[in-house]
Amino acid sequence: MLGSLRESLDLTLFWEYRAILLRGLLENVYIFLGGAMLAMILAFAIGVARLSRRWTVRVLSTGYAELFRNTPEYVLLIWVYYVLPVIFSRLLATRFNFSPYAAAILALGASYSGFMSETVRAGILSVPREHTEAAMSLGMSKWMIMRRIIAPQAIRRMLPEALNQFVSLFKATTFVSLIAVEDLMYKVSMITVHEMRPLPLYTGAALVYCAIIVAAAQLIQHLSDRWRRRGWA
Amino acid sequence: MKRMAAIVRVVELRKSFGPLEVLRGITFDVREGSVLTIIGASGSGKSTLLRCLNYLEQPTSGEVYLDGKPIGFRIEADGRRAPDTAANISRMRAELGMVFQQFNLWPHMTVLENVIEAPIRVKRLARKEAVDLGRRFLSKVNLLDKENEYPARLSGGQQQRVAIARALAMQPKVMLFDEATSALDPELTGEVLEVMRALAKEGTTMLVVTHEMGFAREVSDRAIFLHNGQIEEDGPPARVFSAPTSERCRQFLSKVLH
Repeated sequence: MLGSLRESLDLTLFWEYRAILLRGLLENVYIFLGGAMLAMILAFAIGVARLSRRWTVRVLSTGYAELFRNTPEYVLLIWVYYVLPVIFSRLLATRFNFSPYAAAILALGASYSGFMSETVRAGILSVPREHTEAAMSLGMSKWMIMRRIIAPQAIRRMLPEALNQFVSLFKATTFVSLIAVEDLMYKVSMITVHEMRPLPLYTGAALVYCAIIVAAAQLIQHLSDRWRRRGWA
Repeated sequence: MKRMAAIVRVVELRKSFGPLEVLRGITFDVREGSVLTIIGASGSGKSTLLRCLNYLEQPTSGEVYLDGKPIGFRIEADGRRAPDTAANISRMRAELGMVFQQFNLWPHMTVLENVIEAPIRVKRLARKEAVDLGRRFLSKVNLLDKENEYPARLSGGQQQRVAIARALAMQPKVMLFDEATSALDPELTGEVLEVMRALAKEGTTMLVVTHEMGFAREVSDRAIFLHNGQIEEDGPPARVFSAPTSERCRQFLSKVLH
């Protein structure tokens, strides 16, 4: 009994497929990077828009954030991959398709931009109004003040919360196997079909994901602590 | 020799916050090179007045001119008033240096970076030129040795002196001081007043909102007492502080002086 468990948990099978699995893992990393980049750009725009003086802009941007924040990533991913192209095809009156990569990056980026826009908004609000007034009194323009005075302070305050969201985003990249992106999970299920030994393969995948996230989070935490501590905080 | 031209003109300035009218028709001139102090109880509209001058608050009505040019509006060809562009308002603000009660230094920049930021971004000076300029004004407020410190590591008095250097580095035509010493411990007000005294002596045009009556009396060419958003007393400091005609001004002074 115990012997068979030990045999099942023997990860050498996982190790044997390391080249293929590593290629799969890289797909996760690419999609994470693409999704994170898109999420940050959208989150900044939406976060700023949510503080607009115009109520129409505020309502629209808040609606966007709530919509994407409250739709499960999995549903959004399926919707972007299968439904959105249909809408586009009708509108453009031509066949239209997303590659699985584009769909994955778009869906995850949009989904996490909803969460992150809230962080951006809070970060901007945490910078005292007086810092802006001092800059205004020196003749700095709105955009200059955002870039030079508000953003550098807001970003430092956003880091710990943003870090949590990046971890979630990386975990969410494992859903992309569902739309046939050949990521680590996808490769594991393919090999499992072939080898008929799910236990070592899935256990190995779980351990790898966990190890990567812990290591990356530690590294970012360390870097951001060092950066935040530089002289003030 | 001081020129006699009015560098700041304020005409019938009014400001309301909702139903509350804080400034109720203020009119005065400031001559170039002179020091005007504005005194009054809290809530009398002193700070709002200064903030209307550089358009941090938008006046409800009335006009402010700096060196003959209107601030915040322009006169169209047909003679009507139109709101000025954001770029023009910024340009005018750059000519009015402002020192705040709470210093408002930017905590993520060093002392020198605080001082050279606006000269580089707004005046588009080369970095080296801006650094030279910044050091000149830091040495003027006696803080050259702190140029690489972050504001959080300085005392309140030092922070306020940096804020003064930061405003001076834009080489404004007029300096506005909004209760520059009110947030400081008593033992730290002296060093800030010293810097302000030196500026006054050099002929800097200054509008000073303050509770330091001794200082006001000593450095100003003219004093204004505000009450309920109106000028209640206006004249040379010797008269305003020693023999005010207004009963309210007399009461105010007896409260703050004793």
